[in-house]
This record gives sequence, C-alpha cells and structure tokens, in this order.
Amino acid sequence: MSHEHHPKDEELQTGSGVGRRDFLRLAGFSFAGAFLAGCQQGKIEKAIPFLIQPEEVTPGLAYWYSTTCTGCSAGCGVLAKNRDGRPIKLEGNPDHPISKGGLCAVGQASILSLYDSHRLKGPLLSGKEATWNEIDAQVTSVLSRIRQTGGRIRLLTGTITSPTTRAVIAKFFSRYPNAKHVEYEAISCSAILDAHEITHGRRILPRYHFDRAQTIFSVDADFLGTWISPVEYTAGFRAGRTLEGTPPKFSHHTQIESQLSLTGSNADERIAVSPAEYEGILSQLAILIGEKGGRQTGLTSKINPEMERRVQRIADRLWQTRGRSLVVCGVNDLRLQLLANFANHLLDGYGNTVDVQTPSFQTNPNDAALQDVLHEIKAGDVGALFIAGGNPVYDLPEGETLGANMRKIPLVVSFAERMDETASAATMVCPTPHFLETWNDTEPVHGAVSLTQPTIPPLMKTRSFIESLSAWMGESQTAYDLIRAEWRSTVFQRQSSKKTFDEFWNDTLLKGFVTVSAPTFSQSAFDLPSFTSSLNKTDVPKDDGSMMLVLHASPTMMDGRNAHNAWLQELPDPVTKTVWDNHASLSRNTAEKYGLAEGDIVKLEVQNGGDVELPVHIQPGQHDAVIAVALGYGRKGTDRFTNIGPDWIQARPTVPPGALVGKNMAPFVGHANTLLTYITNSVTISRTGRSYSLVASQEYNSLRDPNLLGEPTGERRPIVQEATLAAFSLDPSAGSFRKPHLETMWPEDHKYTGHRWGMAIDLNACTGCSACVVGCQVENNIPVVGKDEMRRNRDLTWIRIDRYYDENNDGSFSVSHQPMMCQHCGNAPCETVCPVLATVHNDEGLNQQVYNRCVGTRYCANNCPYKIRRFNWFEYKRGDEMQKMVLNPDVTVRDRGVMEKCSFCIQRIELAKIEARNSGTRLKDGDIQPACAQSCPAQAIVFGDMNDPESKVSKRMKNPRFYKVLEEIGVRPSVGYMTLIHDRPDDKEKQHHG
Amino acid sequence: MNWFGNRLVTVVLTVAVLMAASVFVTSFTNNIKLPDNNQGYEPVQPIAYSHRLHAGELGIACLHCHHGAERSKSAGIPSANVCMNCHARLTAPWVNVKAEDDLATKEKRKPRLIISPELKKMYDRIGLDDNLRPDSTKTPLPLTWMKVHNLPGFVSFNHSAHVRSGVQCQTCHGAVETMERVRQVSDLSMGWCVNCHRDANRNGINGTPRNASTNCIVCHH
Repeated sequence: MSHEHHPKDEELQTGSGVGRRDFLRLAGFSFAGAFLAGCQQGKIEKAIPFLIQPEEVTPGLAYWYSTTCTGCSAGCGVLAKNRDGRPIKLEGNPDHPISKGGLCAVGQASILSLYDSHRLKGPLLSGKEATWNEIDAQVTSVLSRIRQTGGRIRLLTGTITSPTTRAVIAKFFSRYPNAKHVEYEAISCSAILDAHEITHGRRILPRYHFDRAQTIFSVDADFLGTWISPVEYTAGFRAGRTLEGTPPKFSHHTQIESQLSLTGSNADERIAVSPAEYEGILSQLAILIGEKGGRQTGLTSKINPEMERRVQRIADRLWQTRGRSLVVCGVNDLRLQLLANFANHLLDGYGNTVDVQTPSFQTNPNDAALQDVLHEIKAGDVGALFIAGGNPVYDLPEGETLGANMRKIPLVVSFAERMDETASAATMVCPTPHFLETWNDTEPVHGAVSLTQPTIPPLMKTRSFIESLSAWMGESQTAYDLIRAEWRSTVFQRQSSKKTFDEFWNDTLLKGFVTVSAPTFSQSAFDLPSFTSSLNKTDVPKDDGSMMLVLHASPTMMDGRNAHNAWLQELPDPVTKTVWDNHASLSRNTAEKYGLAEGDIVKLEVQNGGDVELPVHIQPGQHDAVIAVALGYGRKGTDRFTNIGPDWIQARPTVPPGALVGKNMAPFVGHANTLLTYITNSVTISRTGRSYSLVASQEYNSLRDPNLLGEPTGERRPIVQEATLAAFSLDPSAGSFRKPHLETMWPEDHKYTGHRWGMAIDLNACTGCSACVVGCQVENNIPVVGKDEMRRNRDLTWIRIDRYYDENNDGSFSVSHQPMMCQHCGNAPCETVCPVLATVHNDEGLNQQVYNRCVGTRYCANNCPYKIRRFNWFEYKRGDEMQKMVLNPDVTVRDRGVMEKCSFCIQRIELAKIEARNSGTRLKDGDIQPACAQSCPAQAIVFGDMNDPESKVSKRMKNPRFYKVLEEIGVRPSVGYMTLIHDRPDDKEKQHHG
Repeated sequence: MNWFGNRLVTVVLTVAVLMAASVFVTSFTNNIKLPDNNQGYEPVQPIAYSHRLHAGELGIACLHCHHGAERSKSAGIPSANVCMNCHARLTAPWVNVKAEDDLATKEKRKPRLIISPELKKMYDRIGLDDNLRPDSTKTPLPLTWMKVHNLPGFVSFNHSAHVRSGVQCQTCHGAVETMERVRQVSDLSMGWCVNCHRDANRNGINGTPRNASTNCIVCHH
C-alpha cells in the first residue's frame, strides 16, 4: 500500500493541523488509489489431478469408512470421514453394539494425533535412525541367542482386545521356552478382575448393563467420565432415564465419592465421603441387604449414625428393585470389590445387570503379574523386554527405577508412536502406526468383534506390532493377511449367516463390526465360601483422620497418553473447567484451614518420601480430608506447547520455561499388596508462598443472582431449569418456567416458508462429557489458542458446556451441565447492532455470520445475551504443514479480525439439501446432524426442522419439559432445552418460578 | 482557514483529478477490476490441450472428463488414465499418422510410432517411454495444470447443485468448446452469482421453476 499521500508522521503525532477526520479523508483517497492500482492477477494456483484415479473416488466427495477407535480399549465403533485421500473427522457408528453412535472427546480428538509431526518418523536403534532390516537383524540375533540360553522374554502391553494380536503373541511365544505376556493399565481396575476370580472362578471383567438398572449405586466409579467404557455406559445410563411411560422410566443413581467426578455431578444423590469410609459403607450395605434377604453375612461395620441412615435408604431402594439393581465400585481395592460383588450377588445382579457369562474384555490389567515382571527386571533376570502400549517409565510409580533397570536388559524394544519416556530408555524403538493407518481387530465385549481398517497410507515409516512380531518369526506377513487368516480360522467359524469367508469379511468391513456366537464364558454362580475366606484375608482400612491424596484419571489426558494432543489439553475439564494443567483440588474448608486461595502453590509430602508442588484449586463437593490430583500430566515433550498461542507483545507462554504441562503424579501411586492404589494416607500440605495462574474456561459457578447486581436476593436464575422426579410425575412441566408472550417491536417479516432449523437439548441426557466440544472443533476448524488466551477469555470454541454449582441452604450440593452455543434467535440482538450487516437473518431461521463482510467491531458479541460469539483476535497458528491436513475443506479458516460462532454446521445443512435435491427426494428428519449432535453418546442434542410437525425437534418442543434460556428477554431463540430432572429426596424449590 | 487547510484542499483536489483521469483512461482499456477479479485470466498450460478440438470439433461431452461436476462439489480435472483411454492409441493427429503410413508403404518398412510434441510432454510426465511402455527410469507424476477459475477462500461452490438444476456449463464458463486455451469468461463476482440466482427464482432454469437461495451463508461458510 502506498504511503505517498499521507501527511507527515510527526503531524499526525502532534495533532497539529490535521485532525482525525482529515486524515481519514486523505487516507480514503490514497487507499482508493491503491485499490484501483491493484488490478493485478490474483494468487496463481495449480490444479493437480490424480495420476490414476481410483474408480470409487471422486474429488470433493466425502467417503466414510467404518473402523474402530483405539483411543482407549473400550472399542467404540467409528465412521471415518475421508476427503481427498485423508481422514478429517471421526464420528460414532450408530449401529455399533458398544458405542451406539456416540464418540467421546478423546475419540474425536484422536484424529489430530494422526497428523502429529512429532510422531516417530521411523525405527530407532540405540537412539539413531535405522532401517527395518537393521532392526529385524538385531532382534532376531538376540532372540535366537535367548532361545538357546533359555533366557526370559517379557512382553508388557496395555489391554489387548484384539483376537489376532493375542494369537500372534501366542504363536511368537511358543518359539521360546520362557516367555510371558503381561497386560497392565496405569489406571488399573485389576481388583475387579481379581475379585471375580474369587467369586466366579474366572479372572474376568463383567459387562455392566446400566440400561437395565433401575437403581445404581456407585462407589467412586466415574462410569460417565473415565471408568472402563464411558461412551457405552453413558448410552446405557441415558437409556434407563428417558422419562417415558407411566410411571416415568427413570433410574436412581447414588454416587459415593471423595472428590467431585463427572459421574458424581450427574447423580441423583451424591455423598462426599472420605475414601476411608468406603469399606464401612459397602459392608453396611451388604449387611442390610443380607438382612432383607434373610441371610447372615457375618460382616461388621462401623459407620456414623447419619451415614447409617443414608445407607439404610440406599439399601431399601436397591432391595426394592433387586434384579434391576447395580452396584459398581471404581476403587482398585480387593476388599471393596469383593463387597461390591457380594452386594450384586445378594441383589440378583448377576445375570441381570452384571453379565459374567458374556463378559467384557475392555480392560484387562493384572497388577500382580506386573509386580512379578518388575521384580524380574530389577533382579536382572530378563533377557528381552518388549513394551507395546503403555508408557511404564512414566506411568508406573516405580517408573524411574524401571527406566534405570531397563538399561541392564540386553534387548528392550518399545513400540511407541512418539519418543516417550519409555522409548527414550529402550534399546530400539519400533514405531507403530496410528489406528487410522493400519489394520486391526478388537473384541471389546464377548461376541462383538470390530474391525479397524486403514483410511490413509502410513504417514511415517511405521509398522504395526503384529507385523513386527511376524517379521521376527521369519514370516513377514502384513497385518491384513494376519487378521484375515485369524478370522478365517476363528471368527468366521463363530457365525453361520454368511457362507463364504469373503462374503463375511466384506460385510463385516462395511458395517465395521460383527456379532458372533459367544459361548458362556464363566459360571454365574457366586462362590460364597471362596468369597468369605478371601474377604477375611483382606485388611480393613484404618481411618487415621489424616489428609489423603486421591489420584484420579483425567477424562482428557487419561493415563497421559493424550498429552501430545493440543485439543485435549485445551478442552476444559468437564467438572473443574481448568485447561492446560493439573492441580491439587481442595475443599473450601480445607483451603481456609490452611489459608490457601485458588492458584496458591502448595507442597504435598507423602509419608514414605516424595513431594510435589502443585497449584491449589478450590473444588466444591469435595471431602475435607482429601487432596485430589489428576494423573496423566507432566509428560515429556509437552514443552512443545510453550508457544502454541498467537505471537504478540503481551503473549505469555502456555508452558512456563523449562517446565511441562502439569505435574506427573504417577510416583505417588502406591501399592497395596500387589494392587496399584490411588489413595495415599498421611499427606502433609505446606504453603510455599508462591502462586500460579490456573486457567479455567468458566469463572462463574453459581446460578444465584450475584451480589454485585444490587440487593443480594439469593434468587436462582432460571437458566438451568430443573425439577425433582416426584414433581415431574405430578406435573410434567414442573420446573419449566416460561414468561407470557412478549410483544415485539420487530415486524414479522420472516415467513419461514421452507425449513426452519431448531435445536432441542435434553439437559437430563447431557452429562457434560464435552465430546460435542471437540466434535465441533474438528468439524469447524477451530484453532487452539493456548493457555494465555484462555486466561484472557478469548477461547474460540463455538459450543461450551456451562457447569453450575448449586450449594443449597441445607448443605446439599448439586451440579448442572448446560451446552451453550449460538441460539439462532428470531429477534437476534447481534443482528441489529452490526454496522456492516455481517450478521443477518435468513429465511430458514439461521443467524448467519458472513466472514467477508465482518470488519470486527465486536458490537454483536457485546450485545449477545448468551455470550457465544467468538472473535479472532489473531491469525492463530494452525500447527505445521502436517497438522493442516486435519482441516475441513468445507469450512472457511477464519482470518484475524472477524467474528465467528456456531452456524448449526451450515456446511452439513447445505450438503444434505443438495444431496436430497440431486437425488430427487425430500430431506428427511435426521438427514442433517450437526457435529455436536452426532458425537453425543447420550443423544442429548436433537436438530431438525421446526416447520415439520413430525420432526424429533418439533416433538421435543411440544414436550412440557421444553423451555428456552432467557426467553423472557424476547429474543426468540431457536435453541431450547428440556428441564433437568433428578430423583432427589427432597424438593428444594425449583418449580416455584412462574 | 490556515495555510495547511489550503494545502489540504489542493492535495485532495489534485488526487481527485488524477483519480478521475486514471479512471477515464483505464476505462478505455477495459481493465478496471476489483481485487480478486480474474476475468480474462488465460494461463499457459503445461500442455497445449485444446478444448476447441476435444469439446468442440470432436464433440466430447464436458462431463466425460469432468464427471465430478454431476456428483461432487468439484468438477474435477481428469486424471491421466482418462486421457490414456484414447491417447494410448491416438498419439498424433490423423494427418501425421497417415503421412508416415504412406511413407512407410513407399519405403516398404513398418510405420514408426508418431507422437505429437504436446502428447509427448504428457507421456514423459506420466513415465512412459517412446513406445508408450512404462519407463523404469522415470517417476510417473500427475500433470500439473494451471487452475483457471479460482474462488476466494470464504466462498463455497458446489458444481453438482448447479449441474443437476440444469445450469449449462457454458453459463458460467463461457463457450469453452470454442477456446483453444481456456479463459475465465465470467468475473465470478458475488453480484454475478446473485443476479443469476435471482433470475432463476423469477424465471426458473430452462422453464423449470427453481429455488436458488440468496442467503449469504449458502455460499459463505
């Protein structure tokens, strides 16, 4: 741009002579001159077609491949959307028997890991780049020596759900005299399997049917957030609480826990107790249920009278619905798990809500075997160690020693995707591909087998685990051949509907899964003598009243495996809403006792050595004797996110210099006999006097009128409207508060003759899991802004989950989650203030945001009562060239200076309309699913045409539970909510509005 | 009014006069364009492929090669295997082949394979030797064409929606079947799009009533 017509700079600075308007007038001319002078050719682009176009591929069209997510071992079915040869979005497979169409935040975000340029680019030998041939030569020579000397081969993996992988490992091990495979999980529930070995004769994980349960009693099991198979359990939990029929279908859920988990935040009744009380509560429960069934349990229990009264009520309820009651326990403690099994047995849960005959394989850790291997390694007895899955040097309490001991082993092979803590200590690294690049299979639940198929050629020189094993057996078969061979001999034999193997294979590949026969796996009879004798051998925990450290799984980081994923690092924790950190959660009382405020750094010291400094987070709903910290942080390599935010003069790094994202808490995981335990007694807290900036995406926690608005009224604002089940049974519209029709100043100039899009969100189904937030981020090219921008409240997510705490006067405490996105108001306040008509209404009821008109005044965001508009303050970093491959080509990548917000996934609406028109059909209800609605494991979000009286959304809007947020201000939103119903003992207030 | 005010007026007036003059002059050259308006863009392509010959003289339908236009957002550029459907045998214009044939008959020898210089460029690029057999010394690469019609980043256009509604390719792309080298005929500006949409709403397309949306977000998302 030419500056020749500008007045001299000093004149501008002193302001002498030329005023602002003069300057603008002059500038206007000079800009116009430059504008006209700039009649040059635009950007020159190349167009490169295929060399040989595959017959089934048309550029610009999306192709969907059914595959299986391996973000964790739960085995959710996904459909991978491929555009122009690369996967760009994962969506839940609606037909899949486990996940039923849902996909969690981790699954949604796993696509970013595929395009991570920090993945290993090829195999490493003693830290140096090597070829696969060199690796194979080295491994086979060491292995043949071991075969002759009879040395020990140990394989350490995470849970293996793949039948083919199991078969290949078995075949590989059959060649060596002393080889052993051990599965472990850093966040272990080994005690569940151990307890079932005692009570049911086989070491299995039962399949829990939350959908069949009428009464759910959970002791510290975060089954909606982090426990075993959250998507499956969320879908089941939701199916048991549909409020349909008379009496309304609604399960009762009681949660006993020490820190507020996502599951606890959704419970009908939640009791915060110290972990030391779990045993007493479960024993008391078993005694009471036993009494009702006329059985002597021989158990004793000491709990306080108040708790006894509550346990009595729970026992009554569980007994009333026996056969449809479910007791789950998430503590890795044998005694507690035995008691939970016993309770399920007394309640006729086995065979009904707890299935041991067709069990689950979703997690299969063996802590005792893990300890054996660690001892062998320590003693220097292992000849070759293979580590596939898991990151033991990081995620085990004795990781550091293990890392040192590993150097004594002649051959340590790590099958990592990235240069993690374990890979750094290994002699060689054989990088494995991302699950979207390879063939795999999985049987997460007995009889339901899923296939994983590649959707892109490998981006790095990787080789899958079974291919490596095959190469070292001298066969060098591909994963595809190995899986087909295994399926031909086993899975194919377990079905009879398909005659030929190819027909069977193709059909399975198309659907992504197959249901095959599942012969009864274990006895269903409860072995009482074995239970009693084993229970007597376990210790009763003693409560010494000291502070306890409770380590819990993070729903985003899990055991640390997702630390490289910026989307998950920036996804607010569903409960605390903090981003980019873990912290020591304390109750308000405890914080006051120690004189601590949010963000103060404390030093935690455990009795048997070890200390860590962490910032304090004050967490409502937490027990006073508990310090809760999330696992999975402090991973090596997270310093790469230091400068992930935009570069500008006041930018602060996301990760402090020389530090990592959060602190690793794995060294504080303890051992109880052989089991890993996440609860540590006798922890001391000391103040350091320093503080740290903890960042949360939400700073307002209460729905009560804040005092700063004038006279404190304590009035609860009707944003989340809720009612108790009792009130709902009497009046379905209970709690849903509506203002009478408001007059409007605006003319009714929008006729909405065609479609009129709307959304209805069932707050009763929404658990706050935040899968939709990441789903939206992937679909709509939303960048990561970094911790500093989050601190400045400049996050860019189009959908957020508002989490409100409601501390009632009687001391009870409730939590509500509310997804909030653009409400597409009929009388949108944003539209009237835009000076350039960049946000306008359309004839389908959408509030349109036109990026190329927007000049960035931000008036619209200021005038939005829902605060859902997001401004691009910067040109955000999109990662490197490889990371850009994840961008959705159907959605504009926004520039600096424009406003953006939820568009109801307009690209999907337009595409569905075009496809319907092209095929000469009418658009059906359900043809369009925005990314948020699609990802929801609980199907809380329904989108559709409000002009179609038969659409799901219209039906929901006619439901008496339906209400709109801030309806009273007359903006006529197109998004509405269904009241939140809880089966709470007492009706506190809530339905008395209006 | 101080001396600077006078100077300001002078500067403004001078600039205004210069602007007016430049607009006047450039209007004769038919060259005033808004930024991003590439009307008339006619890049030289790596191979002098003639749409006039293929689509005009030989009458090959547009969708024969650009078959994505019927189903997809993008019309697509044919991959080399589509070209080779014909050009595996058709290596040079008929007259040249005939001349070689005649000459060979006269010289009592087998006719040589005649390859036109433009097709040779393609064969080289996709890794074929002079006898059209794969040449192991060459890496087969797709042809890299110059993209003629570019839309700005914030506009979404779907070919299939237009083709299926009965819009002729020529409505937007001009008479490509007469062009030796493809040129951008329309300015692809928003006003041009919207005018056509409005016209389709009033008069339909080829007599069929159509609902062509003029909502911003239909294209801008």
